[in-house]
Amino acid sequence: MILLFAPFVSGAQSVGNFVDDESDLYASTKQVNQFFRRFNGEEDFKGERLYPEDKDYRNPELRKTYFSNLFNNDNGLISAGLKTEFINHSLDKKDPVFLEFLGGDWFAEVTTTFTYQGKDQFLTLFLQLEKDTVGSKWVISQVYFEPFAKVFADQDSLRKTGQKFLHPMSHELDFMNLIRVFDNKTSLEQYLAWKYRPDYLTLFVYEFKKGNLAFKTINKVKFHFFQVDGWYFELSDFNRKGYNTGWLISSLAKVSKDEKELLLKYIYHE
Amino acid sequence: MKIRLLIISVVLLTLSSGLIAQDNLSKQRKAAIDSLALEKVRDLSKYISIIGSKETPFSEANRVIERTLELFNDDAQMGVSSIYREEIKYYPVRKYLERLMALNYDKINITWYNIEYISDLELQPDGRYVGVITIYQRFEGTTEDGMVYKDTTKKDITVYVEKKQTQISGRLIDFWDVLLGDIRVAETEK
Repeated sequence: MILLFAPFVSGAQSVGNFVDDESDLYASTKQVNQFFRRFNGEEDFKGERLYPEDKDYRNPELRKTYFSNLFNNDNGLISAGLKTEFINHSLDKKDPVFLEFLGGDWFAEVTTTFTYQGKDQFLTLFLQLEKDTVGSKWVISQVYFEPFAKVFADQDSLRKTGQKFLHPMSHELDFMNLIRVFDNKTSLEQYLAWKYRPDYLTLFVYEFKKGNLAFKTINKVKFHFFQVDGWYFELSDFNRKGYNTGWLISSLAKVSKDEKELLLKYIYHE
Repeated sequence: MKIRLLIISVVLLTLSSGLIAQDNLSKQRKAAIDSLALEKVRDLSKYISIIGSKETPFSEANRVIERTLELFNDDAQMGVSSIYREEIKYYPVRKYLERLMALNYDKINITWYNIEYISDLELQPDGRYVGVITIYQRFEGTTEDGMVYKDTTKKDITVYVEKKQTQISGRLIDFWDVLLGDIRVAETEK
């Protein structure tokens, strides 16, 4: 990979009175956009965009070369075998896989800091691309915030601690027994519908509009991809010295449909 | 009759501009817009070097700051992070440039790596196209007692591209206008 960039290393030019080796910058996957292009084989080694009419557009050999440097090679948890299987699947001669920017099945996880009740706290925003009448935009689709999560008891664990309910003839008493529902803050969930799940996004909007949450900064960004059938990968930014830098696959797993649902729940802290 | 004709032409113009906004850009068109956007980014690089230089007189640096601001959307911000402080600190572009001008070094040398990475242009809901150009800057500041501070920063610069029309000799002529937006500045390990 490094050798492939060699012609451009020699092309590293003097800008003003400063000369330096730029080969690592060429090798780095500098934008998520560049990750898409390299994965798909849609740019040459100079970083110039290739179009469908260009000879090397989506060339499997070009893609294979790029693939070797699209993983975080410092991550021992991604085995060489798994990596090879993923690459072979993506480069399949009959049914090659290409990533699509507006193809759905990928989203961003952004760790932010908000001030809440006088304290700076991490809050995770999940964003996805949404098509609009014209063009597209990133929208906030879900939120995870620990202070919200702490308020809500897990329905399953509540059931184990004993049953509390409004008996089925409560209607005949004009629901006068509702008083017992509200005499204890910790058991309220026991009286809610079984399918009830707290919606942190609504809470987030409410608390923000009430002035209880104030945005401070962004801490970290990563992306989750489910676009390759039967596979999941995570994309993170690696800011370090060397050639294996920028936006790289930081986690890789084979996932069935059921496992995908479980994994999504895990990512969303559900 | 004249009013009817006028209404019809305004409607046609509105419809056609809507269609233009949804069209994909051809390779040639994209190349032309890329070079226009790169020109703005190179102007920005040049201005930053001038503003940062200790050899630039105060009045000249202020004049260049005004020129620089003309390249940007009014609400553009710089989001800055370092290797040791990953969270983003926000500065309005003017404040960022004024801080650059006032840096407490005896000598400052700002140079640019010969690499410019241009993303695709994506259509956004207001009909403008948006892209990001990535460049790398090398900063070297020397204090009076000879201490040298060096860093390399990656600058991801938002570029907005808008199709506009102007009237020349009674004819409506289309042209592409490029404005810069938010810039993410991240110190890099180099």
